[in-house]
Amino acid sequence: MDKPILMGAVLYNPKVSVIWDIIGEFFQDNGCPIDVVFYTNYELQVEALLKGHIDIAWNSPLAWLDAQRQSGSTCRAIAMRDTDRDRVSYLITKKQGHIKTVEDLRGKTVAVGAKDSPQATLIPLGLLQRHGLQPGRDVQVRRFDLMVGKHGDHIGGELEAFKCLAAGAADASALIDLNWQTWTQDGTINPNEYTILATTELFDHCCFTVRADFPSQRQQQFLQVLFSMSYDNPKHREMMDLEGLKAWEPGRTSGYGLLHEAVEQQHFFVGTTP
Amino acid sequence: MERYTWTLRVSTARKDRATVFVRQQQFTVGAPVQFDAAYDAITALEYVLGAIGADVVHGLQALARKRRVEVDHVEAVVEGELNNPLTYLGVVGESGHPGLERVSVKVYVASIAPAEEVRRLWQEMLDRSPLVRTLQPAIRFELSLQVVL
Repeated sequence: MDKPILMGAVLYNPKVSVIWDIIGEFFQDNGCPIDVVFYTNYELQVEALLKGHIDIAWNSPLAWLDAQRQSGSTCRAIAMRDTDRDRVSYLITKKQGHIKTVEDLRGKTVAVGAKDSPQATLIPLGLLQRHGLQPGRDVQVRRFDLMVGKHGDHIGGELEAFKCLAAGAADASALIDLNWQTWTQDGTINPNEYTILATTELFDHCCFTVRADFPSQRQQQFLQVLFSMSYDNPKHREMMDLEGLKAWEPGRTSGYGLLHEAVEQQHFFVGTTP
Repeated sequence: MERYTWTLRVSTARKDRATVFVRQQQFTVGAPVQFDAAYDAITALEYVLGAIGADVVHGLQALARKRRVEVDHVEAVVEGELNNPLTYLGVVGESGHPGLERVSVKVYVASIAPAEEVRRLWQEMLDRSPLVRTLQPAIRFELSLQVVL
């Protein structure tokens, strides 16, 4: 039997380990064993990937950029969920409030998620910058640094940002489209009271990342099993529902430009190595 | 006093199962801890928490019979919390330990006896409970009693 592929994943809640157990069994049953190593944050996982401690990392978009930054852009994004593609984030505000355009936020307060959340902080602040508003100078930022290191995987920061808006302590808050959809359906957000003020351009989310030296034959073996998951197969559906997708797609890097721009403009990696 | 010892034999069974043999009885235990709500066995941790609850409700009921205090029903809600469950999963970079950090036992007693009488029973039960006496000094142990009619 082949040596198992070592897969890295960041875990913020023990319940998430159940998904990886199921995925691990699926790969085992399909002749491509994987061993999953859990990390407490993406910084440790990227380091482990680049040092060769793991073969594949399930990376956040920010972790992908970090891996590219540290490896001299030699990593490969080999697969992602259909739901990782073409996401947007929103700035939302109160319908009855005075904020009608992004420019109205000048001198006001925007609530965002954790400092390393692409969807709830970096990209939405990038949207403000695109409108000529400098966070911290033209717009006051209330940041909710919940579980820093998890790159916003934990929705707590976004939820606190919304609560800040709801409490009147901010004039707008940032969140990803998926949370807007969920929260306006489950009653967390009353869609009659809040409205989408602005929408970011499309961006991509997580991806499986490998180093340049990951053998293509191993990659193919992994992808063949991954892409064999079918939402039409009831045995696969539970696993895919847990992971929030209907199909696995090939990895692409064209959807990380918006985050790259935000990271550069906000000097996110300044002061970190290398 | 002559020492009294309990001996159990515990043997691995099929995948992630252990069989416990005790006197003429036996029972099956699943994984040490599980985070899957659909997991089809009782974990070692759940047995421990269940045993704590059973110790308390049975102890109280038995004492009530002995003291001839009328008690209809005793029920407990037990909650347990590990110091850091991610360390059980071996998450790289996590600190803490997978041991129990806190156990809360809320006991509801249905009785027409005066509340004071039930409280005396409760205190005596706590003093005599093997599991409470073992765990109380070791972890955060929150015990509460509510008497209902």
